[in-house]
Amino acid sequence: MARHWRWFCWGMAAALAAVLLGWIFVSYQMPGLLLDLANLRYCG
Amino acid sequence: MPNANASWRTPTLILVCGCIILTLSMGVRHTGGLFLQPMTSSLGWNREVFSFAIAIQNLVWGLGSPFAGAFADRYGAGRVIVGAALLYVLGLALMAVSSTSMALDLSAGVLVGLGLSGTTFAVIMGVIGRHTTPEKRSLALGIASAGGSFGQFAVLPIGQTLISAYGWQSALFLLACGVGLIAPLAYTMADGHKPAGSHGQSAGAALVEAGRHSTFHYLFWSYFVCGFQTAFVMLHLPSFAVDSGFSANVGMTGVALIGLFNVFGSFLFGWAGGKGSKKNLLLFIYAARAVVISIFMLVPLSVVSIWVFSACMGLLWLATVPLTNGLVAQIFGLRFMSMLTGIVFLGHQLGSFLGAWLGGVIFDRTGSYDLAWALSIGLSVLAAACCWPVREQAIERAVTRPAGA
Repeated sequence: MARHWRWFCWGMAAALAAVLLGWIFVSYQMPGLLLDLANLRYCG
Repeated sequence: MPNANASWRTPTLILVCGCIILTLSMGVRHTGGLFLQPMTSSLGWNREVFSFAIAIQNLVWGLGSPFAGAFADRYGAGRVIVGAALLYVLGLALMAVSSTSMALDLSAGVLVGLGLSGTTFAVIMGVIGRHTTPEKRSLALGIASAGGSFGQFAVLPIGQTLISAYGWQSALFLLACGVGLIAPLAYTMADGHKPAGSHGQSAGAALVEAGRHSTFHYLFWSYFVCGFQTAFVMLHLPSFAVDSGFSANVGMTGVALIGLFNVFGSFLFGWAGGKGSKKNLLLFIYAARAVVISIFMLVPLSVVSIWVFSACMGLLWLATVPLTNGLVAQIFGLRFMSMLTGIVFLGHQLGSFLGAWLGGVIFDRTGSYDLAWALSIGLSVLAAACCWPVREQAIERAVTRPAGA
């Protein structure tokens, strides 16, 4: 694979990973998780 | 070493599959607490029934890890992972139809705990460790830890979405299907394990050797502290934030920040462990935890301080995993790595049990978490002190030759 394509693929993968992590992070604000905070006491 | 007829099992493939297995296994386990409210409401149980089953799960996970590791060292990791994945699936399925506390203890507690023993760090790290060069081993273990961290971070919201959309019973069956994917993935981990650099040592002899080596004890007890702190902070930080007058989403964002930065921290320290002294990095992590918690206690509590604390703790969270496991491999060799890391992990789980439990006990008795935070700081200092005398040099053994050879 050409060098610039390799960089492009790695860049896209990194960008997608960043979007995925950001999306998961935001989903922690779901009402279901927020409302029953006590549940987390048993998640450890 | 990989079999000659299994050359398709490249280190990269093993690492990727190991990461996916850890993501599934650690992630699904992390959703356990989300079922507390719907299950107890639906079945008319009190919360103690549910939390007792989860406590059993944590202990069985810890106690089962050395045995799962020993079986993996003896009979191959593939068989152990498949067997454990089936127990995990069975445990989740039976949990969905449990109607008595004993059934819950057996399913969510014993079966899921046994499933976790064979599908998490002790066994997976052993395979990855055996298939990477010493120079790249710490980085590979760091990437695998990041995979487990990612699972913990990512599957929690997915579990909540499944419960909201399909109900808790269907959600458990769907999560069981997800765990079932581990079984085919385990085929890549079936390395037909042969002793790497065998010195004719038996498992019992390896156990005695490790037991007589002070470094093994230092690693056990420092990992104990790691378990104590992570369980205490993860379980009690949201309550601590709410008790301090903040809204629920401040604590949840803190938990999310820990999960997010944990992914980066695991990778970063795994990479650094391949470049420098693992012992010094471990010492740094425990000392840094003491400093971070102390500053958190000293500065006025605010949303920013909770979030900065969470991010810093996240960076230091499972970063201990690649370093501790890497040190075990480096000092005691790869032959019994799964068994020995399983024993060290037992220390982690005992610490987790105490951290979760004592945090609650201290709050109930004193009305605040101050003493628990102070205990965390003190234990951090002790863990750092435990890392100081760790000797990183590999044990030199005389090669045992068969009689008459």
